[in-house]
Amino acid sequence: MVRTMNFDFIEYLPPLLVGAGLTIVICTASGILGSILGIVFGTAKASPSRIARWVSSLYVNFIRGVPILIILLFTYFALPLIVPSLTLDRGATAVVALSIYSGAYMAEIMRGGIQAVPKGQSEAATALGLNYFTSLIWVVMPQALKMAVPPGIGFLIALVKASSLVSVIGFVDLTRAGRIVTTINQEPLTTFLVVALLYFIISFPISLFGSWAERKLA
Amino acid sequence: MTLYFGDIFPYLPIMLEALWVSIYVTALSFVVGSFLGLFIYLARASRFRALRWFGRGYVEVIRNTPLLVQLYLIYFGLGQVGINFNPLWSVLIGMSLNNAAYTAEIFRAGINAVPNGLREAGRALGMRYDQTFRHVVLMPGIRNVLPALTNQFIILFLFSSIGSVISLDELTAVLENLNSQTLRTFEIFTIGALLYFLTSAAIAYGARAIEKVAFKW
Repeated sequence: MVRTMNFDFIEYLPPLLVGAGLTIVICTASGILGSILGIVFGTAKASPSRIARWVSSLYVNFIRGVPILIILLFTYFALPLIVPSLTLDRGATAVVALSIYSGAYMAEIMRGGIQAVPKGQSEAATALGLNYFTSLIWVVMPQALKMAVPPGIGFLIALVKASSLVSVIGFVDLTRAGRIVTTINQEPLTTFLVVALLYFIISFPISLFGSWAERKLA
Repeated sequence: MTLYFGDIFPYLPIMLEALWVSIYVTALSFVVGSFLGLFIYLARASRFRALRWFGRGYVEVIRNTPLLVQLYLIYFGLGQVGINFNPLWSVLIGMSLNNAAYTAEIFRAGINAVPNGLREAGRALGMRYDQTFRHVVLMPGIRNVLPALTNQFIILFLFSSIGSVISLDELTAVLENLNSQTLRTFEIFTIGALLYFLTSAAIAYGARAIEKVAFKW
């Protein structure tokens, strides 16, 4: 059946805005946790220890070769069967899965940042008598983090978009809110255009901030 | 609970068949999308302000909204105005349009990375504009661009799993079906994750091998 588009949308806007808020919340949480994971595993991947490099490569390469949807379904359905204490609600599952996902990408960005710091810097630190960890924290890390910021912000946009998949395990984020609204108002075109617009409003400022940071820090 | 992979092996052919669906959907929309992406890039680089704005707008809108919402718009949304696509066509169209925005940016970065001096050198050697473009800008540009294109292909392959949400029978959808049939949840999703991982690793190695052969210079 063909119907015309109806933009008299005010009554459906509040649930979509709540969904958008929850999307922002889980993205912020998993962005922070993922950055911490990324710093740890990225440092390990650029470290002189063979075991640390091997373990972090395994994590980073495996996660980067698997769809976020599979990671989500695995965390939600399969993990609790092996570790019953990890039976999490949907929101926590979403944050855990998205953190594991973004950790791998952030680690790769962080490794790039560390390896882009000129060798002379850490050599100078060694010559001054700093050991590996002091030179890492006080000399290499500050410079590496600065280089990792623009691509890290770029990944945050990818994270916001990937977070739309938590709707599949039933978490009521912006996408799921849109699905629910369409079952009530029977207007998928209008509703998903509004959903897309809300994603754009979340994501576009991040990308503008990213290109600003790139100019500023480059 | 005990792990038992033996129940899963009879279903392996079904999984591989579904993996093939994922791969050809990805390959098809990558080819179509890259072709579209070339035109989006040309629009962004054109002399006409309107075309430049269209190219920029297209890239920003696609890159700042999730593929899942784009698929919902095509699959559910267009139905509202009487345009109905089946899941396969919706995924092909959605992934092609999505891929176009990303490849357009990759082409732009690759062509811009060719230094202006090279272009001027080509002109100084007496090459015509089109010769300079083909031999001096395009070939090094393609070489610059290949690793990024491979990366984009792998990302597109991984995101083809979203097709399952609008009931396209690719690998993820089949995994979910098998999960509810066998209830071997852990085993099913482990094997599924491995299939995705091995395929994307194979794509990465294959692309590197091709680069080595094709761009020896």
